[in-house]
Amino acid sequence: MGTDSKPGTVVFDRRQVYRPFLERLNPIGSPNADLIIPRSHDPRNSGEPPIHVAFANAAELSRGMQMALVGGIGSGKTTELLLTQKVLSRHSDAVNVSVDLSEFTDLNEINTGAILATAGMRLYSKLLLRLKKSGEDLPDDVKPAHAKLRELALGTTKWVTDEPVEFEDEDPNMVRVEVPGLMRLRFPALRRKVAEVQELFLIIAAPLLEADAQITLLIDGLDRLIRPEIFREFAEQDLQAIKGTKITVIMVAPLLLWYDKSRFLQDYFDLVKHIPAAAAGPEDSTFLSNILERRGALDLMDRSQVDSIAKYSGGVLRDLLTLARSAAEYAYRDDEDRIGRPHVTAAIAQLGNRYLVGLGNSHKRLIRNLLENYAFDVDNSTARELLVNRQVLEYFSGGRESFAVHPALAKVLPKSA
Amino acid sequence: MTDASTTTAFRLVRRLAAIGHQNPSLYLLICDATALSLIQADLAAELEVQLGVGLRALAAAEIRPERLAHAFTGAGERATLVSFNHWLPKLVSALDRNIVLLTTAGAVLLLMTQEIAERMLATAPNLRSRLTDVLTIKADLAFGSDHA
Repeated sequence: MGTDSKPGTVVFDRRQVYRPFLERLNPIGSPNADLIIPRSHDPRNSGEPPIHVAFANAAELSRGMQMALVGGIGSGKTTELLLTQKVLSRHSDAVNVSVDLSEFTDLNEINTGAILATAGMRLYSKLLLRLKKSGEDLPDDVKPAHAKLRELALGTTKWVTDEPVEFEDEDPNMVRVEVPGLMRLRFPALRRKVAEVQELFLIIAAPLLEADAQITLLIDGLDRLIRPEIFREFAEQDLQAIKGTKITVIMVAPLLLWYDKSRFLQDYFDLVKHIPAAAAGPEDSTFLSNILERRGALDLMDRSQVDSIAKYSGGVLRDLLTLARSAAEYAYRDDEDRIGRPHVTAAIAQLGNRYLVGLGNSHKRLIRNLLENYAFDVDNSTARELLVNRQVLEYFSGGRESFAVHPALAKVLPKSA
Repeated sequence: MTDASTTTAFRLVRRLAAIGHQNPSLYLLICDATALSLIQADLAAELEVQLGVGLRALAAAEIRPERLAHAFTGAGERATLVSFNHWLPKLVSALDRNIVLLTTAGAVLLLMTQEIAERMLATAPNLRSRLTDVLTIKADLAFGSDHA
């Protein structure tokens, strides 16, 4: 069917066929948008509740716990945090502070105190809302504490006396001095003592803690630091500063910490959950297909195409959505009203080629070894690169961890590596 | 390197039309070093003609890694093109760690040579994961008149 723009006829706009579907494939949906399919159990243990339920239960029953969630890129960590927040909200005294840290601070450099400062400012907003609802007044010390925290975090502009300057509208005895903020939002930051931020944070949190509120900080984004040692530097002091309070922390951490021999993750956090890629078994396949169906895939493609996308996603949720999206775009490009097999095949090849980029001979040797001998040494630094880049996926099934080459990559891998 | 699909400015903008230029999408576009400015001009023209929107063109070398938020704030009204004419490891690292800033800025197009693309994809796993697609882009005339 083509576009018909003759006067008096109904104009067919193919964009309207695909655009709603593509919008629903936005990787991170809102839990209220009814697009998320929650897992029915812990991906590593079918006898355990799903991760978001486990996190929420722990936060509700043992306030002050510090929990970590690890998983590969695109494995659904943010979705689990969103679901956790939704579950926690079932109690009226719940105060959930959810932040993606990279939206607030520059993750390029170590920024000790930034987590605490961000959480403190967000907590202040929550406190104001609660007090407004209850008609209570803000305690005297909270507002100045917040102002000081903002100043520490974001920096400030001060006017101080100096040599006369030639500003037309300003006091000639003053010179502009920028005081950098802790969070490196725009300017180079000064290193501040976390204790100072901690003190201000606790002043802001005090009215909520005294009211016995259930405070949970859900912190996303630090997994993008990739290297475990950077995460440790970034996170350790801030988390230590909150320990001993009744404030719960749930934090996303880099996948490599899961394989780190220092066992920082397991030793430091009270509860650690890992999201492996969804395995290719029937149950997980259904889970993956359901995700696409919830977003309207069957309106535009046959079930066999849905199954094919699920299979070649390797169980990586973001790849699942990327494949569906690419296939839809290929179909649109071909002026087709439905997504067919050639479009899905092209999307798989495109994803596979993307994973192929940058693979050196040492990477290819490891991949070949995994494909042919099922051998993969996760202690090898090159192997870890493959894991981080999702060219190799980690699975967990029947109590055993295993590794496999991403199926889209395996499909395009040259025969002789 | 790869068998990245080949496209033109016309075709790419047609894809953007399918999803809407204000919806998040992130494309890595590969072209010859000599064609960077020509591709940029093609994209600007196609965006104007097909979608009626402007192109916000940024030179990667002029983006300060510590000011990424500033570079991408409010970019959603127009499509954003970032052109790399040489390898910028600090900027690429910053983009990788702060990738959410790009995924909320509407359509973002990263234009570079094949060599830079290979290095970027190999060293920026978060960015790679968020890419909508990787495409080789040719100037419209060089690619012929196939506007299908």
